[in-house]
Amino acid sequence: MAINHAGGSTVRVEQVDKQYDSKQGTVQALADINFEVSPGEFICLVGPSGCGKTTLFRILAGLEPPTSGEVILNGSTVTKPNTDMGIVFQEYHLFPWQTVRENVAFGLKKANVPKDERSQRVQQLIDLVGLEGFEDSYPKELSGGMKQRVALARALAIDPSLLLMDEPFGAVDAQTREMLQDELIDIWRETNKTVLFVTHDVEEAVKLADRVVVMGRNPGSIRGIVEIDLVRPRSRADPEFGEYYERVRDLIHT
Amino acid sequence: MATDIQQELERAAETTELPWLGIDLRRTALGIGGLALFVTLWWIASLFQPDFILPSPLAVAERFVSEAASGEMTTALGQSVRHWIPGTIVGTLLGVATGIALGWSRLLDDISSPVVRTLRPVPPLALIGFAIAWFGINHTGAAFIIAVGAFWINFYASYGGVEGVSDDLLDVARSLGVQSDLELIRSVVIPAASPEIMTGIRTGIGRCWMLVVASEIFGVPGIGRRILRASNNLQVDLVITYILVLSLMFLLVDTVFRAVQKRVLVWR
Repeated sequence: MAINHAGGSTVRVEQVDKQYDSKQGTVQALADINFEVSPGEFICLVGPSGCGKTTLFRILAGLEPPTSGEVILNGSTVTKPNTDMGIVFQEYHLFPWQTVRENVAFGLKKANVPKDERSQRVQQLIDLVGLEGFEDSYPKELSGGMKQRVALARALAIDPSLLLMDEPFGAVDAQTREMLQDELIDIWRETNKTVLFVTHDVEEAVKLADRVVVMGRNPGSIRGIVEIDLVRPRSRADPEFGEYYERVRDLIHT
Repeated sequence: MATDIQQELERAAETTELPWLGIDLRRTALGIGGLALFVTLWWIASLFQPDFILPSPLAVAERFVSEAASGEMTTALGQSVRHWIPGTIVGTLLGVATGIALGWSRLLDDISSPVVRTLRPVPPLALIGFAIAWFGINHTGAAFIIAVGAFWINFYASYGGVEGVSDDLLDVARSLGVQSDLELIRSVVIPAASPEIMTGIRTGIGRCWMLVVASEIFGVPGIGRRILRASNNLQVDLVITYILVLSLMFLLVDTVFRAVQKRVLVWR
């Protein structure tokens, strides 16, 4: 399938620190963050609110510079967003003046992909995320779950090797979330992309990830990395699932 | 009992709405009623006043028809349009462009801020001297006054619109491969700010009809000139006639623009 040519990417996070100046003095948001992601891996960053995971996400995406340290994506330092990564936010951030089709086509248009190839690819992606029939709808006409599908298709369109997702399913209802999680796993398997997925939901992390990077607060730092050795699809009813869940939760609370 | 009334109201609402025409009959009927009341009050008031203070609605209607039939009205309208159109277009384009540029660039904003703040409170009418000196007593001079008025409204509307564009949308666009500022402005900033920009244009168009009168104060012919001359001659019926012409023109243009706006902003 044409959606599938870039393999996953390698990400190295090296000694990332982040400090903010506030009225109360300097705040240490992130301290000494180190981890590595191999090509095609699915990583979840999990932690309570205030642990700096969104800050780390923004640094990974090149939206914010670290105070020290660096993020290395496929061998080069990340300083600003680039087309090697597709970014998906919790609040979707679709272009409201564009239809589903136009939103998905945005990046391809910027890359000067010829029109025929573009529309073919856009249609493939729309089918992939299950939005056939809504090509000409505007974002205001879509539900939260549908908007997030569009955002995902839009991010996949430019064929990034890394998919960065910040609590992407945090704003949808529980049933939709479960459906989107399953679909994301399918898409990930089909496209071999590296996925970095931020969430505060331990269950979601255990359900999705190859490895869970567990963060704690004061200062935001890594408490441990848990490898989830369970076959997919994973079930919460599985006792082993429960053990992993406990382990991750205990790490957060230490 | 209460639900009966509610049902009846709902049924009434259903029967009075003609959604395929976009016309709400109930509102239209109320509007016509209000208008009738206004004209009646005007008529009663006019009974106790001489014509040069307040002519009756009928007298104004007669004058309106005779003025229209004589061709005077079309002449005046044609003259006013010759500075209203170029003034509005030039002022709008410059205002929108400047507003977007300063709303986007912190540097340009900082550089121009003192000048902008100095010039902003100057009423267009105060610039008549410049209009005469730079362009003369002609359509260009009048268009200049109108353009100044259109400029500020559009400048502030666009400036505010651009300032309000969410950084997140810009981040998304960058991650999808948009590199240059110009490209960001074209493909994200302008569409995202288009509701504010459109509101500015629409407000500006209305304000420019008001400025038509002011812009003709120094002798340029048109509707405003007619109003001023008729005022001097105490021909109040003629004054009201041309005020009505202005209102109707405004209504016409505003209705057309509103339809355009609705179509452009269909995504909202």
